[in-house]
Amino acid sequence: MSRTLFHMALYAALALGALGLLWRMAAWFRVRIGPDARAVTPAERVGALFRGAASALFSRRLLHVVAALFLDVLLQRRLYANDKLRWLGHLLMFFGFMLLLLLHALAPVVTVPLFPGYESTLAPWLFLRNLCGAMVLIGIALFLYGVWRRRTRFAPVRGPMAAAFIALLGFVLMTGFLLEADKIASPQAFHRMAQENGVTDPAELEPLRALWAAEYGVAFSDLRQPLTPELLEKGRAVHAEGCESCHARPQSAFVSYPIARALASVAGALDAARADVWLLYLHVFACFVGLATLPFTRFYHAVAAPVSLLVDAAAPKREFSAAARASRRALALDACVRCGLCDTDCSVAPLARHLGNPTLLPSHKLIATGALAGGSLLASGHEDDALRAAEGAFLCTDCGRCTSACPVGLDLEDLWEAGRGDLAAANLPAPAQWVRARTASAWAELLRQGQSAHVLSDPDAALAPLSADRNSFSRCVQCQTCTNVCPVVAHSTDPGCGVDLTPQKVMNLLRLGMRDFTLGSRMVWDCATCYQCQENCPEGIRVADIMVELRALAVHRLGAVRNWKAPS
Amino acid sequence: MKYALFLGCKIPSRLPAYEASTRAVLAHLGVTLVDLEFTCCGYPARNVSRDGFVVSAARNLALAERAGLDVLTPCTCCLGTLRHAQVLLDEDAPLRSRVAQALAADGLAWSGKAAVEHVLPLLARLIGTNKGATVPAAAVSVPRTGLRVAAQYGCHALRPANVARFDNPMAPTIFETLIRATGATPVDWPRRLDCCGDPLHEGNPPLAEHMTRAKIADALASGAEVLCTACPHCHLRFDAVQSGAPDPSLRTLLYTQLLGQAMGLPAKSLGL
Repeated sequence: MSRTLFHMALYAALALGALGLLWRMAAWFRVRIGPDARAVTPAERVGALFRGAASALFSRRLLHVVAALFLDVLLQRRLYANDKLRWLGHLLMFFGFMLLLLLHALAPVVTVPLFPGYESTLAPWLFLRNLCGAMVLIGIALFLYGVWRRRTRFAPVRGPMAAAFIALLGFVLMTGFLLEADKIASPQAFHRMAQENGVTDPAELEPLRALWAAEYGVAFSDLRQPLTPELLEKGRAVHAEGCESCHARPQSAFVSYPIARALASVAGALDAARADVWLLYLHVFACFVGLATLPFTRFYHAVAAPVSLLVDAAAPKREFSAAARASRRALALDACVRCGLCDTDCSVAPLARHLGNPTLLPSHKLIATGALAGGSLLASGHEDDALRAAEGAFLCTDCGRCTSACPVGLDLEDLWEAGRGDLAAANLPAPAQWVRARTASAWAELLRQGQSAHVLSDPDAALAPLSADRNSFSRCVQCQTCTNVCPVVAHSTDPGCGVDLTPQKVMNLLRLGMRDFTLGSRMVWDCATCYQCQENCPEGIRVADIMVELRALAVHRLGAVRNWKAPS
Repeated sequence: MKYALFLGCKIPSRLPAYEASTRAVLAHLGVTLVDLEFTCCGYPARNVSRDGFVVSAARNLALAERAGLDVLTPCTCCLGTLRHAQVLLDEDAPLRSRVAQALAADGLAWSGKAAVEHVLPLLARLIGTNKGATVPAAAVSVPRTGLRVAAQYGCHALRPANVARFDNPMAPTIFETLIRATGATPVDWPRRLDCCGDPLHEGNPPLAEHMTRAKIADALASGAEVLCTACPHCHLRFDAVQSGAPDPSLRTLLYTQLLGQAMGLPAKSLGL
């Protein structure tokens, strides 16, 4: 390979990768998630980073950071605790890859100075290179198996760049093994080396060829003499003089050598096609493509996730300034590897399946939170996505299991809370909030205007069977017992707490066939579900159950006529 | 005695002391607790989807059923929700078949075999107070003599009584009896059966705060030193409202902590 071309490509890839990294990392200080993040400027956020880093470096927190570097970043303690198979796969991929990077790709600057006499074709390097490559390949296989094993109805969103990363990594590995195998089997490579070392006399060359055919895997198609022990002995003498110092037997390359044997019959054809040249180009340029695109493939998590883990270790949890919290949330969007371990543990996963809404699940919610912060969720044409994201965000029970499950240690609860703040600011708060935008009668009027649209898909039977069935409330004699025992009514004499109706009036509206007037009612939405009304009703009417069902119906029906995008 | 422990969503993340003290006290009394892969009881889903709520609850019941265990929960809201779902599944056949279909996708089935129990009645049986004992129970080694304790029942344990099947909804006694069993003195307070205000904290924060403060003031006026809870929602609610300026003369304590103290269990094991 031409050195100029190699260097030009290397520097171009490095420059592109570095520019991309800067661009992506700038987002950690630019992206705003949560109402509190709006109050701080990017400059303050950069300042907070430096202050935080300085105070961690010059205090005992440094020990925590170093511990996190070893336990969380290098040994992946959190992943081990949550999914041992995936941990094994990740560890194999990570260490195999890092060792290949340091000992093989960066050999001139790492291995050569560290190990005098290093030759890539000597022991133990042949073996080690294959071991590392095999580790990565097994890691990839375990990873793909894990993805298959944990497949669910709502798989984590994995962009095309995630597949691109795995494909590229696999490609680099495969071309590496093929290149090594080709070189082992190649008669052309043998002859070039023999010539360079001055072995041209047939009396020396033939025994050497015999030895290399017998013991070094070269696939000569033109061996003239049988491989007798005497001939091999002669070859060994020549080998000891010129070759041994740089070449160990390649059998220890336990992946490449079997491939070389398998390629033996086509070794000549591969030589004719200059396979060694183009395999080298493919191998090296695939690495360069990986380097240049690093900030935009899944590979980027190798930068963002360790940063996130170390930032967390640098400051005890929840003791971040508003500026640092803002950066930490933006960083979380990048550090998430979409592994989906959070989804597996999610408390409301059964509800997500029932509602057909994946944004209840953490990995999907994280993407929606990012899309909301980036503005794309509120773009026109995404109204349904925004509504589903809001539904998902407000049905989260804050159980914290996603945070415990996250192998990158993301503070997801903080992210969810910030996201809910952003949703509320975008006119997408919890139903108990948005329903307050209008009075009960204004909602009823809105329903009347848009009624024709909802007759066909009236979900009453499933959502509110009690309020749809006269038998459940027609016994009401308006005795007011429910109202008298209602703590909400009792407390609503206080300014700011007032309810519009009383439970008994809600029942009466149902009796009068005016259910639409109850849906946006304060009484229905401020019902504490303490069940005093229901327990005390002399007619045995399930007053509180009816209230709760009316809320579910209201979410559905008022939600359909609520124009959340219009300025209210 | 063996139960599947249903902690719900709040206890592990917000009130780990409740889990710790429940485990400590029950281990001391010889109860084995099994952890299953439970999910949300379905309570928050009630506001959006009746089916979604019942499916969420039924999945947990089916998990316990598969393990051949009854469910034990320290949360009154989870108790009320799970029992509510059982009642709906019993009485509504079309709902039952929709739920069965949803559960079948996970290889689960509900037949109603797994019962749901709250920690308080179980403790009452274990320490013998259900037989009307008025003196400290045998298990109590460090009686909390003289401590004036207000019992916070929690709505969803009491009402609707036909669903909750916990105690007399108008005049319950189980909590006071359990307090007496620790040697402490239960306080009679007019608002003991009132809502803590927690369900309204999202939709109407001022109203919610008004309700909580009324209860705290009533407990204080009735001479209580301890507001004793058996539900994470009530407990966290009182703590949240008092977090700014807690009244030093009234503190919240989980019943499992009170009993654990009376049993002489180490404070650390009770999350204290």
